[in-house]
Order: sequence, then C-alpha cells, then structure tokens
Amino acid sequence: MKSSSMPLRASAVNFLRDHITYVIFLAITLYFVLFAPHFASVSTAGAVLRITAIVSAMAIGMTFVIICGEIDLSVGSLASFSGMIAALMLDQNVPTYVAALLVLGAGAAIGATSGILVTKLRIPSFLVTLGMLSIFSGLALTITGTRPVSIVDDDFSNLFWNGSFLGVQAPIWWTVVLTAGGYYLLHQMPYGRRVYATGGNAVAARFSGVRTDGVKIFAFVLSGMTASLAGMMLAARSTAGNPSLGAGLELDVIAAVIIGGTSLFGGYGSIVGSVVGAIFIGILGFGLLVLGLSTSIQEVIKGAIIIIAVSLNRR
Amino acid sequence: MAETKTPAPQHAIVTMQGIGKSFGANRVLSDISFDVMAGETHALLGENGAGKSTLMKILMGAYRTDEGRILFDGQDVTALSLRDRIDRGIAMIFQELSVLPNRSVAENLFILREPLAFGRRVDSRKMLREARTLIERYAFALDASARVSDLAFAQRQMVEILKAISRGAKLLVMDEPTSSLTIHEEETLFRTIGQLKQNGIGIVYISHRMADVLRLSDRISIIKDGRLVGPLDPRKTSIDDIAAMMSRPKGQVPLPAAAAPATHHSVMAAGTPALEVDNLATSRKLSGVSLSIDPGEIVGLAGLVGSGRSTLGKALFGVLPDVSGDIAVAGGPLRPGSVSGAIAAGIALVPEDRRLEGLIGGRSIEENLSLPRLSDFSLAGPLGPMATARITALFRQYRDDLNILCRGPSQKAQELSGGNQQKIVFGKWLAMKPKLLILDEPTSGVDINAKRDMRELVRRTAGEGVAVLLISSELEELLDLSDRILVMAEGRITRSIGRMHDETRLRALLQAEAARQTDIRAQGVAA
Repeated sequence: MKSSSMPLRASAVNFLRDHITYVIFLAITLYFVLFAPHFASVSTAGAVLRITAIVSAMAIGMTFVIICGEIDLSVGSLASFSGMIAALMLDQNVPTYVAALLVLGAGAAIGATSGILVTKLRIPSFLVTLGMLSIFSGLALTITGTRPVSIVDDDFSNLFWNGSFLGVQAPIWWTVVLTAGGYYLLHQMPYGRRVYATGGNAVAARFSGVRTDGVKIFAFVLSGMTASLAGMMLAARSTAGNPSLGAGLELDVIAAVIIGGTSLFGGYGSIVGSVVGAIFIGILGFGLLVLGLSTSIQEVIKGAIIIIAVSLNRR
Repeated sequence: MAETKTPAPQHAIVTMQGIGKSFGANRVLSDISFDVMAGETHALLGENGAGKSTLMKILMGAYRTDEGRILFDGQDVTALSLRDRIDRGIAMIFQELSVLPNRSVAENLFILREPLAFGRRVDSRKMLREARTLIERYAFALDASARVSDLAFAQRQMVEILKAISRGAKLLVMDEPTSSLTIHEEETLFRTIGQLKQNGIGIVYISHRMADVLRLSDRISIIKDGRLVGPLDPRKTSIDDIAAMMSRPKGQVPLPAAAAPATHHSVMAAGTPALEVDNLATSRKLSGVSLSIDPGEIVGLAGLVGSGRSTLGKALFGVLPDVSGDIAVAGGPLRPGSVSGAIAAGIALVPEDRRLEGLIGGRSIEENLSLPRLSDFSLAGPLGPMATARITALFRQYRDDLNILCRGPSQKAQELSGGNQQKIVFGKWLAMKPKLLILDEPTSGVDINAKRDMRELVRRTAGEGVAVLLISSELEELLDLSDRILVMAEGRITRSIGRMHDETRLRALLQAEAARQTDIRAQGVAA
C-alpha cells in the first residue's frame, strides 16, 4: 500500500534510512571479503555463526526486556553462574537433561526476581540488574573458590556445542530454534503485542487492561532463561564451568539489540534485527582477527563502529 | 528589582490594543483590547478553547500577533521576543512549578546569579541574607533556608512568584493558580496576591472559579469565541451575570442540531441498573459518591476543574489503587482497583488525555484497536498465534462504522488527526461490547465535524443499550446529550438535575455548588 502510493526511489531511500545499520553491516562485510584473506568461505561463515550463537541467544531474551523499556545488565554474570552450576550438577552425576532443565529454571527464577523488584518495588531496572550482575558474578566465583569445574559429560557437550544434526552444528541449531521461538512469541502471539504496548506507552497500555507488570516480569524471565542457556553453551564449548566465562558479555548483547534497531526507550524492535546485530558484531570481531589486529585494538574499533552504527540508527 | 514601594498612581503596566490572531483559516482572536494597571488584579475568564491561553501566549511573546500592538510600561514591545519580554518584566507563573525541589528556597531564588565570594565560590551566607531581605520586603511566610521539597504547594508557588519579581517582573500571569491548592493554601495564595498588589505589581488572574475571581479581582474580562467582553466591575457583577455572558444564546450553537436524542426509557431493560455505586471514596479526592445508571441512559457529570469528575471515572475503571466503596455492574459486584477486572465486568473508559492514556502512538491502528481483547484474537488457545485476518476485519468494521480517515490498518496511531485518534480509542472499547462507557472529555481537541460525529456516536451507543457516563467541561454538550446531569463539587456529587436546556442556569449552578462546598470545607477546617 505504501510503496504503490510512493515513487519507487523515495521508498528505496526510506528503506535505506530505516535500515541504515544493515547498509553499514553489508559494507563492512564486503570490506572483509575483499581485504581479509580467505574470509569469503563456508568455513568462515560457520565459524562466525558459531561464535555468534551465544550472543544471539542472549540478545533474543534481551530484546523483550528492551522493547518493554527496561534493561538487563545481569545476563553476562548469569551466564557464568549458570555454566558453573551446570558443571557442578554434572559433576554430581545429575542426569544431563535434568541438569539442563534445572539450570534453565534457575535462570527463569532469577529473571523473575529481577522483574518483580523492578515492577513491584519500582526500582529502575538499571540498578536492580546491576546489583544482580555483581551478586551472580560473585556467587559464580565463590561456589568453587574461583576454580573451574571440568565437564566430562559428552551428552552435555554435544547438546550445547559439539554435536551436529543434519550436518548443521548445535550452536547454529540453537540460534535458529531460538530465533524462530522468539519471533513467534514477539511477532505472532498476543504477548508480543502487549510487550510493544507496554514499551510504547505504559500508561495507555494499563488503561487498555494490559497487566504491564506481568508483561515486564515475563520479559525478564525470558532474558534470564536465554542467559542460562547461553551459559550452558559457553560451558559446553570450553568443556568446563568457568566462573568468568560470561564476564562482559552483556555489553555485546545490548549492542547487538540496539544495532538491530530496537529502541533503548522501548516500543520498537524486532527479533531478527537483534540476531542480525549479533552476527554483525561476530563478523566484525572475526574479520578484525583475520586481518591480524590485536585483540586490544579490536576492542577499540568494535566500540567505535557500534557507536557510529547506533548514532545513525536513531529514532 | 521591583523598587516601587508604594502603588504608583494608576498607570497601565501593560496595554494590549486591537489584538487579532488566526491559525490558518481559523480565526481565534479578534480585536481584543486588554490592560492591567500597576497594583491591580485583572481576572480573565473563558471556556476551554475560547482563546485565553492564545491571548496570554501573545502577551508573553510565544506567539506573534497578526494585528494590534502591545505596550509595556509605555513602550511598544510588540516586536520583542519572549526572552526580551521576560527581561522587561512580564512573567508567567506556571501550573507545573519550575522550582528545584532538592535545593533551598534561597538557592532557588538566586539560581544562575548566585552572589560570589573570592575565588568564584558561591557565598551561601550572603545568598541567605539577601533571600531573607527579599522575603521580608514582601512579607511572605517563607523560610529562606528551607528545602523546597519540604514546603507545601502554596509556599512553592511563593518561591516561584518571588523568583519572578526579584528578577524585576512587574506583571505576573497566573494560570489556574489554585488548581493544586488545599483550602488553607488558597487563603495563603490570596494573601500573597494582596502583598503583590501593595507592591505595585500587576496580575492577570486566570481561573474557572468565579467566586474566587469576584473576591480577588479589581476588574474582570471574559473571552468568548475569540472576542473580549468587559472589563466588568466585580462589585457590580454577580456569578449569574458572568454565567449568562459566557453562555451562547440558544440557537447560536454552531453544531448542526441532531435528531431527537434517544430517550433511554424506550430501550431500557427492566430492573437492573447497568451501574450502581455506593459510597465510593478515594483517600485524597472523592468521598461518599453514590450513583446509578440504567442501561441506555446517558448521565452527564458536570463540575469545575478539580471537582473530581475525572477521578470518579478513573476510580470506576480501576486505575486508582486506593478506592473504597461498592460498585456493581449489571447487578454483579466489582472489586475496585483492577483495570482488567473492570474491563471483564464490562466497563470501558475513553480517557481525557488521549495521547498519554488512550493510545500507543507509535503502534499501528489495528494494534491499538485490538489491545483490550488480544486474548480473543488468539487462534488455538493461549499459545496460538494471533488471528491477524480477524484483527484486520475488526479494523475495517470500525473504520467504516466510525468513519476513521486513515491510510490503512498499519498506519501509526500518532499520525492521525485528533478526531480520528479519538475514534480509535472509542472503537477499541465499542469492540468490547461494554455495559458502561465512561467518556472523559470525549470531544476535547477535535474539530467541529469530529465533534458532531462523536455526539452521534454517543447517542447511537446509548441507543444500543450501553449506559454512558459523560464527563465534559462543555456545558452545551452535556445539556445536548445527557438524560440527567449530576453535579460534582469538592469530590462529592452534590445535586442531580433532570433534562435541562439552559446553559446559563447550569453554569451558575456549578459555580454556586463549588462555592458552597468550599465554604463547608473551610468551616470544617476552621472548626
């Protein structure tokens, strides 16, 4: 309807303006393809997607929280903590799937706690989840006195990282499954509409009968669960629960969501955008690595590109 | 600095001559002449939308006048900017006070011009001393070292006023200054105004409360349909006189007369009222509110600004947390305090502030329309996807039914005009088939055609057996639509009147009720 009433060029310009980060994303990928050795290959693509899976998973949960107009800073330390308790449970011979479900449940409970503190006590989510970040990075270190716990359970490693199904590796499957699930929940189900309404105008949503507190609490539950899942993927990748594996990941996750076009003020955003944002950050990191830049200078370039991308994507 | 100690012999501080203003083809002010003397309170009355605030914006310099000129202290300031006029001494005291709550009174008074000591340090002692001197000069009851957040609202208002006059304001515009004040505080404000007058400061006093206006002001002017009536001498004027002047003579109502309103008795079902309320109260505003509305009946709720009309609407809808009393919808009891409970019982509210409370502006029309009953649009139970086709069908139905002008179902709600936005808010509730529809200022800020559509819609909805509680400041609208009018004052329903057609009488009645309730409460406070 829109495109028919508008000249083609104007609508193309509009599309580019709305998706400016995709343009930057393509330009940078193209740069790596041209100048980074062996960048354009199936193995590179697979590697990037695998690296990205962890940030993608967390970004999907985070998208719900940010569209609600809140933020969750605790995802990185929650991932570390989840990896640790998974490793400890497996060490105690808890069956693989039971352990995985218990860890997911713990993530959900922790997310619910954050959500309840944010909505019922009206503490800004920035503060609540900053506190949670500290609590769970501390707990992850304390449980074993900072020692990593190795994982010898092959089922666990295969399920979350090393296995493959139909020729596609487990982390890529997780990305696909979570993206589909998140897409269905946010874009197809009534809950998603309520998330947009809550973040778009919480007062009007409440005046329309939306239980905005419940919507937000569930968003935090989703974020907690995806963080736990990501923590198990991290643990499976390094075949050990390590208390500092997830440290600092929250920054990549939030950057991915914002680069993907979700408004930090709430009300706008999409799941696919967040996953694209995560992949963008993955390509950036991998490409800079292939170009032979040191990790320290990578951080600088990554930060600068993220700021530029977000500043061009302002609503 | 306002140095004039004794009121100068009557000279005009500000004179507005032949002011006219149009927005596009819409003429909002014509040939208005208005002046304020030194040491005088000149009251300005008028309906919402009559042009009061436009005139004041022209006075302040926020709008440029199309015709006429403005003299301030004898000099032509017509071409000056807002900034320059503030520097000359025109100040507006805003309803939303612009004081810093976490700072002291003295710090607020001297913000951006703090007295400095050696090394560019702020000299707090000197600041406090100067603040005290200033407070004494105007004999305000104010402690210079108190934190503003610890002060009552009326005292914050004093800080605001003092800040303005200490910067040399000679003319203060006060827009509904009593709207947030308690009875006690109103007295404080009136004393403050007295002090200001003695110091030769001119005041434009805008208020809906005619009793206050008659008591306070030296002259009264009324703006009606963009023209000025007056000035009048309050000693020779009564509330009834003013009410008559503010009302439109019968037959001059600009809306095309509608078909005979549906008498609710023809559609009324036997027995059970749609809404029964007994002894409803909130901790701050409402007390002892009881009413009952039949199916198909339109009950108007009249009252001055701040009388508690909107609060009652919100209390019934469950938005307020601290409501006590009994509510029954179609015979079934409803626990107050839950929006979803109220919606499930069949109550719908079209709120006063469309943009803040009514719509998710950044989302699409169809999302807004379907929001209150999303669960009904889910295929295959609570985990199923949304039935998007049915939502679009809902959109089409209400677009055609309510005549909503838009590009399509996915257009953002905020892109529509006020009238069309209001139709969406209406539509989302009509889609629920409510038993009680509460309308809070349903036609505010919509154009004349949309107004007519809305009225038609209200009649039609009532005709289908929905009980309607209509809150409106437009008395003509209340009289036109309501089967019965309830009058509210000071958080109570004080009168019920049957069908009535006389706008002047209703207006005078509202003022009399407000004044009576204020007196009763003042006696209660004094006792």
